[in-house]
This record gives sequence, C-alpha cells and structure tokens, in this order.
Amino acid sequence: MAIDGLIILDSTGRPIIQSGYTSYPPGYPILHVDALNTELSKCARAKDVDPVIYVGPGIGDLRGSACCHVEVGGMRILASVSRDADPLVAFAFLQAFVDVLVDYFGTVNAATLKDNFDTVYQLLEETLDSSGHPLTTSPNALRDIVLPPSLITKLIASIAPSGPSPASGRTGAGSLAGAGAGAAFASPIPWRKAGVRHNHNEILFDVVEDMCATIGRNGATLSSLVWGKIECNAKLSGTPDLTMTFTNPTVMTNCAFHPCVRLQRWSRDKVFSFVPPDGQFVIAEYQYGPPHGALSGNVPVPIAFKANVTTDENEGSFTLTISSKLSTKPMENVIIEHYLGEDSTGAQCSTSSSGTGLGTVGGAEGSWMYDHHKHVLRWEIPNLTTSGSWSLRGSWTSKSKTPRPDRTYSIKFDIPSYTFSALKVDQLRLSSEAYKMYKGVRGRSKGSIEWRW
Amino acid sequence: MSIRAPRKGENYELSVDLNSEYREKRKDAIKRVIASMTVGKDVSGLFPDVLKNMQTDDLEQKKLVYLYLMNYAKTQPELVILAVNTFVKDSEDPNPLVRALAIRTMGCLRAEKIIDYLCDPLRRALSDDNPYVRKTAALCVAKLYDLKPELAIENGFLEQLHEMIGDSNPMVVANTVAALTDINAAATAHQIPPDDPAHFDITSAVLTKLLIALNECSEWGRVAILNALARYTAQDDKESEHICERVVPQFQHVNGAVVLAAMKVVMIHMRAVHREDLVKQLVRKMAPPLVTLLSSPPEVQWVALKNINLLLQKRADLLTSEMRVFFCKYNDPLYVKVEKLDIMVRLANDNNVDALLSELKEYASEVDVDFVRKSIKAIGQTAIQIESAAERCVNVLLELIDTRVSYVVQEAVVVMKDIFRKYPSTYEGVIPTLCANLDELDEPEAKASLIWIIGEYAEKIENADELLGVFVDTFTEESYQVQLQTLTAVVKLFLKKPDSSQGIVQRVLTTATKDCDSPDVRDRAYIYWRLLSTDPGAAKAVVLAHRPPISVPQTTVSPALLEELLGDLSSLASVYHKPAETFIGHGRVGADSLQRKATEVDDRAAAQRALQTVAAGQQAENLLDFDDEPAQAANGDSSLLSSSSSSGLAATQILPHTPAAANLLAGTSANPLDDLVSIFGGMNAGAGFGSGSGSGGGGAGRGSASADGIMGGLGSPGVLSPTHTGVTSPSAGTMSPTGTGAGPGAQKPQDDLLGLF
Repeated sequence: MAIDGLIILDSTGRPIIQSGYTSYPPGYPILHVDALNTELSKCARAKDVDPVIYVGPGIGDLRGSACCHVEVGGMRILASVSRDADPLVAFAFLQAFVDVLVDYFGTVNAATLKDNFDTVYQLLEETLDSSGHPLTTSPNALRDIVLPPSLITKLIASIAPSGPSPASGRTGAGSLAGAGAGAAFASPIPWRKAGVRHNHNEILFDVVEDMCATIGRNGATLSSLVWGKIECNAKLSGTPDLTMTFTNPTVMTNCAFHPCVRLQRWSRDKVFSFVPPDGQFVIAEYQYGPPHGALSGNVPVPIAFKANVTTDENEGSFTLTISSKLSTKPMENVIIEHYLGEDSTGAQCSTSSSGTGLGTVGGAEGSWMYDHHKHVLRWEIPNLTTSGSWSLRGSWTSKSKTPRPDRTYSIKFDIPSYTFSALKVDQLRLSSEAYKMYKGVRGRSKGSIEWRW
Repeated sequence: MSIRAPRKGENYELSVDLNSEYREKRKDAIKRVIASMTVGKDVSGLFPDVLKNMQTDDLEQKKLVYLYLMNYAKTQPELVILAVNTFVKDSEDPNPLVRALAIRTMGCLRAEKIIDYLCDPLRRALSDDNPYVRKTAALCVAKLYDLKPELAIENGFLEQLHEMIGDSNPMVVANTVAALTDINAAATAHQIPPDDPAHFDITSAVLTKLLIALNECSEWGRVAILNALARYTAQDDKESEHICERVVPQFQHVNGAVVLAAMKVVMIHMRAVHREDLVKQLVRKMAPPLVTLLSSPPEVQWVALKNINLLLQKRADLLTSEMRVFFCKYNDPLYVKVEKLDIMVRLANDNNVDALLSELKEYASEVDVDFVRKSIKAIGQTAIQIESAAERCVNVLLELIDTRVSYVVQEAVVVMKDIFRKYPSTYEGVIPTLCANLDELDEPEAKASLIWIIGEYAEKIENADELLGVFVDTFTEESYQVQLQTLTAVVKLFLKKPDSSQGIVQRVLTTATKDCDSPDVRDRAYIYWRLLSTDPGAAKAVVLAHRPPISVPQTTVSPALLEELLGDLSSLASVYHKPAETFIGHGRVGADSLQRKATEVDDRAAAQRALQTVAAGQQAENLLDFDDEPAQAANGDSSLLSSSSSSGLAATQILPHTPAAANLLAGTSANPLDDLVSIFGGMNAGAGFGSGSGSGGGGAGRGSASADGIMGGLGSPGVLSPTHTGVTSPSAGTMSPTGTGAGPGAQKPQDDLLGLF
C-alpha cells in the first residue's frame, strides 16, 4: 500500500513541488515525471490518458513502478507507487491531499502553491510518511500542526524586518500549535480532538443531491441516478453525542458513512447516531432509491427538452426548446452544451422565450456562445422558472461535407432549496452535553443530463 | 566544514540573514533557502548557518530546518552529524509534537552515522505516553530495519513492535501493523528464516486485536489492517465466517480504498465459508458499494471497474440488475468507457439485452473512432454470447452498415465474420449487403473478413468469382493478411464451383507462388497446389473441413490466476490483470512464475488443457480482433505466454537433428521454409507479445507449417504429404481467417512439439 512519493507538476509538465523520495535513487522521481509527460504528449486529449501509467525500472532500481495522476486546477499531481501497491489508496490519498490544499488555500493552482510552498511542504511531511504510509489527512487535525497562511501572518512576515516585537507574537502562535497538536492526537475519539470550545454552538447540514441521467432519442429515460451527500459543518463544544432521525430514511440506499456514524444503530433503527468531528466533513453518501413503481428504478428528470437538428452540406440547423417540469422551485444556471464536431467553424443563433413571466430584460432569455477552440455551442439560461419555455434557434457551418455533430446534448442545472429524494430530517437530539445548539438543514440539487436527439 | 561561499551574491545575503539578530528575519531567510533548494539551486554551503537555527521554540521554523537537513543528509552526511545533539535533545522535549518530529526526521535522514544515535530516543519513543509519538516511532522502526536490520534486532525493537499490536490507541495499532508488514516484506525478500521476529505472523490473538482496532482508526489505518487480515490463514470455517462478518461493515466506508480492501479480505476468507446462505448474503452486500464507487472521479472509477471486471469473472451474479449504472457518458474519459463496455457485455442476459443493444448502437454513432469500433465489437460479442439475441445484433449491425461511415462499415464487417463463424449458415441473407460495401473497405482486417465470408459461402454468392477476381487482380499490392485470405477463398470457390473458377484458381496460385515475397503466402499456395493436383478429395476434406464454433470465454485469465488476482484485489496486479511479479519483480522471476502457474493449471486437469489453451487464444479481446494490440496480448493468458516461450526453446534445441534444419541454420537453403529459427522466434513474438496483426495471424500459419516439417522429419515443402497437413492443422493456421485462429494455431503445434520431447 506504499506511496513512494508525490510530485506536483505545473501546466507545462515541470515539477513545482515534490516529496522527499529519500529512500529512492535520485532518478526515480524524474522517471515518473518523464513517463507521465510522454503519455500526455502521446494523447490527443489529456483526459483520455490512463490514470495509472507503468514506469519501467530505472538505473539502480530493478523494479518497475507505476504512476497514478490526477488533474487539479491546471496542474497534475502524481503519486508514485511500487510493490504490491494499491492504486486506489494512491487516488484516495491524492484526493484527500487536494482537499487539504483546498481547505488551506481556498483555490488550488500553481500560483497559490508557489506562494505558499513552505506550507505545502509541511503538509506533505505531515500527510505522507517517507515510508509511504499516509498519515493524518483530516484538515481538522492538520490545522493544529501546520498553521494555515492567513492575512495576519502574511502581514507580520512583511513587516517583520522592522523590529523584533512582532516576532514574539509569532512565537506565541508556534507554541500554541504545539499544545493543540498534543490534544488532537491524544483524543480518545480518533476523528475528534478533545476539549473543543465554541462560544456559539451550531451544527449545519447540507443535503446535496446530484442527478446523473441519460435520455434516449424517443424521450424515454434510459438511466437516471441520483447520488446524495450530506455535508455537515459542526461547531460544537465538548463531546456532543448526536442522534439524527429522518421522516423518510428509506429513500437513502447504498449508504456510505463517515466513521463517526454508528453503523449498528443505522442498520437497526435507521437513525444517525454519532459524535461529529469538529468542522466540516461529509457524514454520509447515498443513492436515492425512488419508491417502487417508478419506471425501472429511474428518478424522473425535472426538465423537458426538445431538439430538432438537421444537417446539410457544410452546415446544420437546429431548434432547441427547454422547459421545467418542476412546479415549485426555479432552476438556476442551466447550461446546455453541444459538441458540433471537429470540422465545425462557427454558429449563429437567436434566443427567445414565452410565458416565462420574466420578459426579455436582463438576459432572462439566456445567452449563447460558440467556443472555437472546443467546437462547442453553449447556451446558458440564468433562471429557468416553473412556467414558460425557452428556445434557441440557429445554424452552424462546417468544413466537412457531412457534418457529424455529437449525438447528445449535455444539460446541466442547479436547483436551490430542493432535493429529489425529499429527504427530511425529523429531529436532531443532543445528549451528553448541556448547552443549546443552533441547528440547520438545507437542501440543494444539481443535475447533469445527456439528452440524445 | 564546507567551503564558504564568496562574500557576495544570493547565498551570501542568505547567510547574513540566517545569522541576523531578529528571529523573523532568520525565519524568512530559512524559507528563502528552502525555496532556492526546491528550484534546484545549491544551497548546501549554508549548512552551518541553517543548522544554527535548529534550536528554536518556533515549531514551523524547526520543521523548515528539518526539511533542509533531510534534503542534504544524503549528500553531506558528515554535516548532519552536527545536528545529532539537537535531535536527541528534541526527542526529550515536553511537546509531543517536537518529540515525534525529531524521531520522524531522524528516521528519514538515512545517514549511517545518525542511525547509531537513533536507538535510545527510539526506545523511549516507543513507550512514550503520547500516542502520536508512539505511532510515529512504530513507523520509524521499519525505516531502521530497512537501513540496518541488525540494529533493530539487537535493540529488541521488533519484539517491542509485536507487543504494540495490543496498544490501547487504534492508530498506534494501525501504524504498528503497517510497520510490521513492511518489515515482513523486507525479511521475505531477503529470505530470513521463518522463526525470525522480522516475520509478521498473524495469530488468532493478533487477529482479535486487529478486528477491534479496525473499527476505530483512520481510513489509512483501516487499509493497513485489512491488508494484514488478507494474509491471515483462518483456523476453520467458523473463523472465516467471523472475519467476513466483522469486515463487511467496512463496505460502507466513504473511502473507496477501504471498501476495496475490505472486499479483498471477504473474497479471500469467503473461500472457506461453506454456508450457502452466508455466501449469498455476502455477495449481495458487495454490490451496493461497488455501484457507489461509480459516482467517484474517473480515476477511481477506472480502478473500480477493473476490479469489478475481475469480481464478475468469479461471481457472475454480482451485479446482474445494475446494467444501467455502467452506461457510458459522453464526458467519460475513453479508458472508463472501454472498461464499462466490457462489463456491460459481461452483464448481458436475455432480460437486458435490448437495452444493451440500443445503447451500443448509440455509442456506435458517436464521434470518437476508437470508442465506436469497440462498441461495434461489443455488439458482436453480445451476439456470440446470447444466441437468442443474435438476430437482433445482426439487425443492428446492418443498420450501422447503412450509415456508410467508412470505419463503422469496416468494423461491422469484421464483426459479422465472427457471427458467421458462431452461427454458420444462419444469416446468409445479409451477404449481399456486405458485398455491396466491398469498395468502401480499405483496412486489411475488414477486407480479409469479407473475403473469408465470400469464400465460405461461395456456392451461394452468384458473382463470387467476380468479387474475388478484384482481389486477385490486385493480389501483390494487398497486405499478407488479405493475400492469405484471398488464396484460401479462391481455393474454396474452386472446390465448390470447379467448373467456373478453374481460371481464377490458376491465376491466384501462380501469382502467389511466383510474384509473392511472403514465405507464408508462398507456402500456403504450394500446399494448396499440391493438394489440388494430387487428391481433390483430400483437398476438400482439408480446406472445407468443419471448423469448431467460437465462443466468448467468461474469463480473461486462467482460473488459477483469477484466484490469485482476487487475492490481490485493488492492487496494481488486479488493475493490470497480471500477477504482481511480472511487472514489479525481476524479469526472469516473472517469467518463471508465469510458467509455474501455467503448469499448476496443467497438472490439475490435463484433459482440460487443450480446451483451456484454445480458450486462451479466444480471449474476449482477441476474439474479434486481428490486431492483437501489444497490451492486450501481454495482458493475456499466462499459459499461452509460457508455453510458447518454452516451445521456442525446445524447438531450437531439436532443430540441429534434422538435416533440413541444419541447412536452414546454415542459411544455405533457398526454399520457402527459410529461417525456421526465425519463424519460431516470430511465433514467440507473435503469441507472447502480439507484435501486430501480421505476425499475430502469420505466427499461426508459420507455426503449423513448420511443425509439419519437423514432425515428419522433413525440411522441404516439396515432400510435404497432403494428408499430413490435414491431420495437424485442420482448423487453425492455414484456413482460419481470424486472429482467433492465432491462438489455437500457435498453440497446437507447440503442444505437439512439447509432446515429442
């Protein structure tokens, strides 16, 4: 299960930051970087490169190894693995590491990492042991050992040479970190540090559901799955023992839980009984199992879409119509994309809407654009209300005699304050602590649908 | 002490700042030093200055100095020794974080000189009050063992580690398990005797402790513990059941690595579970987490799909009702789509075949050429796998041919040929449609496929001689693959319609023997010529012989290998579908163990061997595929690989005994069997590494022809007796039109050869 090391490459394939690789020959990381860059250059589309690349043995190293890589914010992060390594551990670790970086820096890109390289190095040291075993990856515990860069520390650093006085403040921060760490790792509950204190006790839940559907040419739903995730942000003092009950827990199937959830209670009573970590975490992931009787287990798709496409010599034309099937909530950020083929050269469209109650002001009709680089036509509707319909009429030109646009429209949308499963929290009880806490549950949904024409 | 840098430049400024009276200035300088270090500038000259900053209350600064030390420890070990005192002092610091940091860094330095000072602090750390220090120390023992095993043994660290499995803190247990596993691996690699403490034998007492810690520790700890559980040999059925029941809850962990590691443990211990209901229950519980993994990022999906593929080969009933989860998305990366396709075909049954076919048809109209081709192949596989759906598959293929898109038509023709082989004389109605597209074909494989179909059904195609005539006219310009097929097809035509095709057969045989530079083509033409002129009856028996039907094997690897791979679930081995030694071991070891595995299979059921090797040649991927892509062939069956290499050896050994062969070796012979040695070499390459269509298909033909020569003790085709040819290669080499033939073709003569010696 060993991860030999981790290398972060910038968009040109040059390493920016890499872990120690202390027990490997100096050429080892270079071989991995080279193997990845070779594969990337061979492949027309970067996303089609196999995620695990075999790296042949180098000089002084008789064993081959493999390189697992992911793309993040224009960079590539690669993890070298060898022996009977588990690539999934590598990918899970890379994901966890990226999550940590996001937690620390907000955005992850080459510039941020270069600015904060000292923090990144410390994070690398703390998350990955030089023998290849992942250590602590919970941002919660890490924040105590590695100080996140903040405006104040930056400010202090910039005025530091002016005198010794701010230095004492920094020392204070340093020793504080030490004390916190002792607490974090001595806690009897591995995911929660002991002795947490908050002035204002609150716990917030976000139920996020993601629909992933494919609609056939005849408008029939071929597959439509809804994956749900309950995100939690807990700021509770002490050791809060929580019990969360649902009015309709059966909508959650194929559940996966954060280790804090007591599995026995779930399988027996269908309640979440847990002592949460401090801060943000994902408490559970599930698949929405629609009630029996729904067509072969498919969740109904909340939009109606019609596409009329005709292709002719060197050109094609289309009429698209979309409307919402929801009666209560409006949809936001509806994006419809269509790949018009490698040979397409340009498009010309007009948008219109009827019965939407929004009029035509402020771009309510939506806007379109053609991406010459990706050959993709993109139609955006900022707000898709429950009534009315939107349409896009237009044509495109192509270098090819027989244009071959893609056979699917990709439709993405967000629905705030709505969940497909209508999962409802009945109550949340706190035992073992005496204070009152503020509770909140929100729902939101998003969807990505492939609509064939 | 290193040479001082000149009194100017960047390094000098840094050196001044490192010695500044202000803390912040010094710290800032350290950061700049690290920054220079990472971009590859040599800042080793600043070693003494940086070292001065090591003693500090500021943890961040300490870490940065440690980082610097780790980087230069290897190149400047004599300097690192200066830091030892601080390390030892730090290991007694009241702050547990500093203690842990000191131990961890000393372990990472990998400098011989510092290692000697490590032992005392390490002993203290192993029994530290703070679990964070203990768990850091546990991993450090593994590093020490890697560097100086005798030191770890002398100090009794290994015994101490074994005791730490009973630690009260689950994370310490997990790290101890990880360390012991590493040490065990190192000890096994160095062949340390089994009673050495370096070996990590999991007893039932240890098992209990591991099972308790499993539910309490972090995701990474769980993976380490699960991997250890996978190595445990259960005492009896009851214990296996117990392990499975305790591990199953891990299926619900959010981290996919934990899920797959748990699945591996269950797959291993399930072998000993005999209670049918429990097995059923366990298998049922596996499906949901696998489905959940498919909502992960594409990289994770890919690993999951590869493993699902393996699991399905063992437990076909695992995901029967989950086909739609595997439907490809337009935005999926190609590698995910390809794996999904394979699994979809695996899951196909009478109930879902309609949904599958309409999906495949959809994919076949996408823009990505590779994916379109694979989808069409999948249609063919479905037709061969599910007889009742074959007609629907053929109809879909016909619709695809109607699109007139060149690569779609070509691939469909290739697939149709396979369907004809599986269901002879069933879909003759489509032949005119296929023939109508003759002009569209420009790929050798598609051409060869259509020619084979024409030859096979020559009696039912009125203008067969015309159609074949086109290819005879351009014979010398075609690729070998097409030439061979044309040759065979024309001979078939002649045998079926002797009256009308006398001229064309004469023409093709003359061209093939006189103007053709491929020994394979010439050989085959000579054989046919002789057959036809000596005994047309025998020719009929040979050329029009009944061919064994083809089938899609349910497994892509041999049963023994499958068991091993399932034991390595979620590892690289299971992703590559190859045993770990073949790609991470030394080359020779890998080859040996492949052979060992093959013989294990052979010993188990000698009677099944032939069947198995045939199946090996007909792996799902290769079945419909002339182009044995290197990766696929290499992925292929182990027995195929090893037996071909062994016969290659055997063949070279025996060659000098026959005079003709001696001729060949001397390079004096001018007959078409030139280079018998290289033929065998070629066969090796063809079967083992699938070096492209030519040698893949050609290897088969060569193999059979040369085997005849050796078996009869004859080196020249002039004396090859027709009947003999008939006996040794009724179906393979000479006639088989497909790459499929390459498997059995290459295999049979080799088996014969092996039998001889």
